[in-house]
Order: sequence, then structure tokens, then C-alpha cells
Amino acid sequence: MPKVVIDGKEIEVAAGTTILQAALSEGSEIPHYCWHEGLSVAGNCRMCLVEVEKAPKLVIGCYTPVADGMVVHTQSEKVKQARAAMMEFFLINHPLDCPICDQAGECKLQDYAVEHGTGVSRYTEPKLALNKAVDIGRHVMLDQERCIQCSRCIRFCDEITKTGELAFFQRGERSQIGIVPGRRLDNAYSGNVVDLCPVGALTLKEFRFQTRVWYLKNTPTVCAGCSRGCNVVVGVGQQQTLMTTRGQMDDRVKRIVARSNEAVNGPWICDEGRLSYQPGAAAKRLDAAESPAGTACDWDAAIEKAAGLLKAAAAKGALAIVASPRLTTEDLFAWRKLAQGLGGATFAVRRLVRGEDDRLLLRADKGANATGAEWLLGDTAESAVLDKAARGEVQALLVLGDNLDPADTLALDPGVRARIGAIVFAGAFVSGTAESATVLLPTTAWAEEDGTIVNFEGRIQRVRRARTPWGESRPGWKVAAELAQAAGAAILPWTRFEQVLDALAAEVAPYAGLDADAIGLLGTAPASAGAGA
Amino acid sequence: MERILTRNVGKENSTSLAVYEAGGGYQALRKAVKTMTPDAVTDEVKKSGLRGRGGAGFGTGLKWSFMPKEVDPRRPHFLLNNADESEPGTFKDRLLMERDPHLVIEGTLLGAYAIRACVAYIYIRGEYVFGAGVLERALDEARAKGLVGKNILGSGWDCEVWVHRGAGAYICGEETALMSSLEGNRGYPRLKPPFPAQAGVWGCPTTINNVETLANVPFIVERGADWFQSIGKAPRNTGPKLYCLSGHVKRPGVYEAPMGLPMMELIHELGGGMLRPEFPLKAVIPGGSSVPVLRADECEVDLDFDSLAAKGTMLGSAGLMVMDASTCMVAAMERVAHFYHHESCGQCTPCREGCGWLERVLHRIESGRGLAQDLDLLMSVSRNIIGNTICALGDAAAMPCLSFVEKFRDEFRHHIDHKSCLAGTSALQGVC
Repeated sequence: MPKVVIDGKEIEVAAGTTILQAALSEGSEIPHYCWHEGLSVAGNCRMCLVEVEKAPKLVIGCYTPVADGMVVHTQSEKVKQARAAMMEFFLINHPLDCPICDQAGECKLQDYAVEHGTGVSRYTEPKLALNKAVDIGRHVMLDQERCIQCSRCIRFCDEITKTGELAFFQRGERSQIGIVPGRRLDNAYSGNVVDLCPVGALTLKEFRFQTRVWYLKNTPTVCAGCSRGCNVVVGVGQQQTLMTTRGQMDDRVKRIVARSNEAVNGPWICDEGRLSYQPGAAAKRLDAAESPAGTACDWDAAIEKAAGLLKAAAAKGALAIVASPRLTTEDLFAWRKLAQGLGGATFAVRRLVRGEDDRLLLRADKGANATGAEWLLGDTAESAVLDKAARGEVQALLVLGDNLDPADTLALDPGVRARIGAIVFAGAFVSGTAESATVLLPTTAWAEEDGTIVNFEGRIQRVRRARTPWGESRPGWKVAAELAQAAGAAILPWTRFEQVLDALAAEVAPYAGLDADAIGLLGTAPASAGAGA
Repeated sequence: MERILTRNVGKENSTSLAVYEAGGGYQALRKAVKTMTPDAVTDEVKKSGLRGRGGAGFGTGLKWSFMPKEVDPRRPHFLLNNADESEPGTFKDRLLMERDPHLVIEGTLLGAYAIRACVAYIYIRGEYVFGAGVLERALDEARAKGLVGKNILGSGWDCEVWVHRGAGAYICGEETALMSSLEGNRGYPRLKPPFPAQAGVWGCPTTINNVETLANVPFIVERGADWFQSIGKAPRNTGPKLYCLSGHVKRPGVYEAPMGLPMMELIHELGGGMLRPEFPLKAVIPGGSSVPVLRADECEVDLDFDSLAAKGTMLGSAGLMVMDASTCMVAAMERVAHFYHHESCGQCTPCREGCGWLERVLHRIESGRGLAQDLDLLMSVSRNIIGNTICALGDAAAMPCLSFVEKFRDEFRHHIDHKSCLAGTSALQGVC
């Protein structure tokens, strides 16, 4: 492996590694705009110019592979002067509209101007004026004059989605990115061009002007939209809301962006996952415990009633449970412990397969934790439980997480419902099943809970609580523990998710030896499916 | 010196195959494909000392030797004849294509043979409509006679030659941008490596040569490297050369002379001297508008790669632009800057933003609005462009600017300080 000296420090890197990558691997950054880990090298921004001893002129770090014995200077006067020059060139035609630009706070132009620029421009001629707020797609807006021609977005559409909606038009300083005539940037991954854009040229309609990025609390977590388990960062508003005088925080999810994990999603996510927080993407939330549905009641009373119903049914061997494959493994584990404590139940897991996998990230299986559910609960389909209910063999049905109907919109078949004595629904959203339930126990939704999920490849990953739980909702494992205690079943009074994870790790083979730290930010290497408890 | 490259120019029906063959045309091709291996052709060209006539002056035989010796059938070799002549002041390739197309075709075929190519393209500038037509007709003739296409001259070697018309963008004369354009993409230069010999057009090994370069090859093959070496300033500046003469001379045009012809001989003897005797020589751009300018007192120089390099400029494409004392150097430089500003492809930052900046500052000075600090600004911006771009277009804009300001600083300063022009031909004359 070649050894290279960068700023006096010798490092050994794999053959073919570029100077920029070598520097990044050492934790030091060489400024760059056009280079992106997931895209081909364009080498056009010229911001990563570095000095290589014996080279006749400066070279670009993003394209120049290291060679054994190479000596690189990234902070020499010559390099600093070149960077300042590039910044001066960039700022010739870039409007300084930072006060209204959504990229402020995350703008590489701003950052590098401060770090590498001179603070003064010698350019006194009029700037070019290009189009503002061009609507180029369902989710993306383009401010052409802010573009610094790095071509990341064009390469994304050419190389990743292979849809080619974006291109450069004109040439020289008149160059501008734009949408190919007759097209729209409406591919399933269009939001990534916003993440890619180092300046504020491409912005997400759903996030534009919603908040300043410095008001966001960013939580690294995992998307629960499908069984891929893409790594994301959830940004929750922390600005004090103007409509109250009590200093309430906004505390709503404002945006979801990709978090790079080479083993799962690379640096990309789909638009479906990115916008899953949007109103309309999810049903109305359950606010408080109800017994029966539509009748608010005290949480403890609801727990007491539900525990009684479940206990009585279990005693007769007539308790059935249908769990969502979206629940965290900790939730599923807790519900399994509850069933065991009550003396047994028929368990089934919902199937959420819709359509086909695409060639990039999207999976047809929308059960984010379908693998985890299979590990813990086997692969009995909900239809088996519903058939049993139709035969009148279910006295109490505990529904966890999702509505029972495959389309997630309609109520449980009335004929079947009439044959079930009681339904206890523990979930986050209003649904047909919830409305026909005997007791409703609101649970937390994704972005409000800590836990783990297992993607389709068997990778165990952590979801993290990004915002405070909605209304009276509680984590599923906590509700299970409360029900168990109320029913007199032997279950530990967990108060933290880590405690559930420890218990899970002690019983479920693929989780053996794991704790929250061991899973880390990027998850574990895939464990083999079927290696259940 | 006998006329070599231009021997058919001026003859009646010089573009016809019959006239070309009557003068010994295609004998070199016959000799090569029947009696020489591709490597032997390459070696002969290498020995001749032929250097690329497109501007860079790289050894032609050496360039050919970079091509793989074996042809992978999945990656055929390509020869690209760069006929995208667009450098201001340069019009030599046009003469060859319009007056002696078979020489261009024979040179192309010999180059293709040497690098084991089965297809060659003549990539011609869009504005050369007439030349493209002449070439296409000549190709039809050659094809009909078995000189192009399958089993050339019964040698078993196949090579098709196509004329590809560009759309008239200067940048497409840059070899990697030419390849992109030929592939049907935007004419953007590519990062190197890989060099074209490793991965060129469509990812295949490719050699790109200038029209005049290839036009020399039939003579080298036919008469030998030693003969070629005997012309010009051996050993590094050999062979005949086409010089394009324009500007304030009596007889502008294309002149053939040995490499290393003294510049003053070209201007005063071949070119007939200065256009107006009352205006003496002031400056010469010796190699097309992209190279540094020479003052009159620097013009006692031979026109070859090394002599001009020693003077801090370049032979380039040998497009000499002669300026007499009536020339406003600010206006001239503004005109040059306007060209590169217009032609910058916009791919990389310094060229995209810098070329326009240079032109605007020059325009400001030229129109009487220059500021005291503008000369330092021009120098600084030019230096920030040079060497920092993907291709040489940025350098092409900045190098002349540096030299104009350095060598004619008084004149620029006069524009700024007095809002008038020393030479008296500037646009300022109308306002001052």
C-alpha cells in the first residue's frame, strides 16, 4: 500500500486512493464542491487544489491518486492563494442572499468563503441575473443564479437514478443548470439533489422557508418506510413557536435527510422516506387512551381494563395477537413476553408487501422490521388469526401497531368483528381497527421512540427518539410491561429501552452480546435470518 | 525550399484524385501498407522529428508509440484528425483541406495504419462548410478506388474514414473535448489521465493529430526521415511548416517555409512587408491569439518551437498576427479576451468566471473607465487562471493578457490616466 505524506504526516492508504480521500480518512478536510463520495469525479470546481512536491503545478486532490512517496501540502501559501482565488471566482456570480437562502448555515460557499476567502471581492461589475425559484419537480425548486456549476445534481440524475432530467445549458459564465425541456424532476429519489447541492441552488419545497437549519435538533436514526432501513437524520424544530407566550418549542419533524451508510443506502434515500413525516403521509394520531374507542378514559383504567380482557381470553386459550412488522424488536419482544406471561397466545405478523423492489433502494416489503418480527414471532400470517376469529375461536384480539385490513384504510370485516369478544388496539394512528376497538392504548410512532429494527439483510440498526411522544402515547414495550404488571404476569418493570434491549440480547440469538453502543450509528453486520430465539 | 505541403495548391483540379495521383499521391500509402509494418511507420515518423502542428509541438511518432501494440477486438483503435481549426489567426488546415484533400486523407490513413486503427474521423469545424464538402467528395473518390474502406490496396487492412462536422465551438479543438463532441456529448474537456491512448473516444485507444501534422506523414514515409530532418532546424524543429500571416502586412496568407524561418523574413519577404510604411511594426502574436505577444524589438526570432519558447512565447499553430504602430494594444487585447470569454465551455471555475472578468476589466479600460488598480487586477486574475483549469483554454485567455499588460503597460496606463489612446485607433478616439 502506498505511503503518502500529507502536511508532514505519513499515512498508508489503499492503492488508487485519491489525495482528497486520503486526507478525509485522516480527518482533515481539503475543501471541495464537485466531489461527492457517491458520484463520479468531475474535477471542475478546482477548490481542492493542492501542492504535490515535484509536480509542475497544483493538482486537484479529488482526482489525483496518491503514489508511494508522494509529498502533499494542503496548507502551503500557494495552495491558500489558489483557494482564495477560487472563492473570489465563485462569488463573482453568486448572489449574497444568505439572509433568505435556505442553505444558510449549511452552505459550503459561505463556510469556505469564511475559511478560505479573502473577505473582499475585487469584482465590481454587475453580476449575472438568472431565474429565481424555478419549479423543476414535484419536490424541488431551483434558484439558478445560486448555482456554482458543480454538476453534482446532473451526475446524480445521470449516474444514480439514470433518468437524466438535469443538464447544463449555455456555456461559459452563462452556463446554467436546468431541466431538460419537456421533463420534470419527478423520479423517486429527486430529493437527493437537494442534499447534494453544496449551495442553495436546489431546495426542497417541503422544507423551503420552514425553519433555519440552526434551529433543528438533528437525530441520526433509521427510516422505517420499508425493509431497506435507510440511514437518515431527522431534523426537529427547536425554535420557540411564535403563537404561544409560554416558550413552547416547535418540536415537529421539519425534514429528513440521508445519512451515509455504505452497507445499506450509500448516501441516498428515496423521496417516500424523506417525506414520510409530511401531513397526509400518515393518518391522524391517537391522542389518549380510550375505552371503548371514542370514549376518553384514564390511562391506568384503560390498562386495567385491557389487562383483564387479555388475561381472561388467555386463560381460555382464546387470545390472539397480530403485530405490525414496523414495530421495534424491543416492542415485539415485550409483547411476546406479555403473551408468555399471560399463558400463551396465537401470534401473527402482518404482511406489508406492495409492488416490487426497485433497482436502487425501495423495497416492496414495507415492514421495516419484518426480519426482526420473524426472528421473534415466526412467520404466521395475520390471515391465520383472522380465520380463527371468523370461526369464533378468538375471545380477545390484541392488535399492535397497524390496522388489520391489508389496504390499511378500511375497518375490520364486520362479520369477523362480531365474533371477536374484545379488541385491544395498541398503536399510534387512527384506523378502522382502532375505531372498532374495545380499548385503545396510544403508542409512540417512529421518530418518537428508541429501539432497534432489523433490515431485510439481517442488519440490526438503531432508531432513535427525535421528538417528544405525541399526546399520551408511550413506547410499546412500556405499554406491554404495564399490561403485564396489571395482569399479574411476570415481566420486568422496564423504564428504559436499553433495559429491554439487554433482556432481548440475553434471549434472542442474533442480538446476543449487543447493546446500544455496540450497534452504534451504522448498525451491525447482517445476522442470518431465521437465527431466532 | 521546394513546395511540399502546398505542392498541389494552385493546380487546376487540385482536389481531384487524378491530379493528386499524377503528382505521386498515395504512393506513400501503397509503400506503407505493402512493405512496412505499423511500427516501422511509427519509427520513421519518430526519427523524422515531426512535432505536432496543432500547437503543443509534441513528438508525433512518440505519441503514436503510446498506443497499444495489440488490438483488443472489443476496443478498436481510432485515429482522430483534428480539423477543428478555430484559433484566431490560424487558417492553414483550411488551405490543405480545401485545396488538397487527398493529402489530408492519405496522411490520415497513414496515421491510422501506424496506430492500427480501423476507423478514422476527420473532425472538422462547423464553419468549414466548403472544406467539409471537398473532403467528403475526395473520400468518395478514394473509397471508390479502394484507397479507403475494406482491404485497402489489397493489403488486407481495413480502414474507414469519416468526416464529422462539429458545431463550431472552439473548445472542441481541445482533444478531449473533441472526443466528447464526437461521441455526441457536450464539448467538455476531460480530466487526464486516462490519456486518449489509454481510453479515448468511446473508451478505446485513440490518437488525435492535427491536419497539418498528418499531411506531413506521406512525405516522411515516401522520402524518409533523413530527408525530413534535412529541412528546418534539426534535430528538434524539422520539416516544412505552414505559417499563417495576418494583420498589417501587405500579403497576408498561408506560407510554406522550413521550420525555423526567421520571423522578419516571413513578414518582410514572404508577406511583402508592413501594410502602411508610415506605421512601423509594433507587435506580433506568433502562434495564434492564445500565445504571449512579442514587441517589435523581440521579433528577431526564428519561427520554431524552441526559439519562441526561449522568448517566452510559443509557436502554437503558427498563426502570426502582425500589428503596426496604429494598433491600440488595449483594444486588441480586449478583442482577444472577448473571444475566449465567448468560447469558454464553462466547466471549470477559473476559466468560466475568469475569462468574463478579464474581458470586462479590459473593456472598462478601453472605454475610458479604467481604474488605477486595474492593471494589477488583470495580472492577478490572469495568474489565478493559469495552470488551475482542466484544459488549456483558461491559459489561452490569460497568457496573452499577462504579456499584453506586461509589455505594453504604458499604453494601458495611458488609457486609464488620460482616457485616451496612445495609438489613436481605440474606440476612445470617439469620446476623447
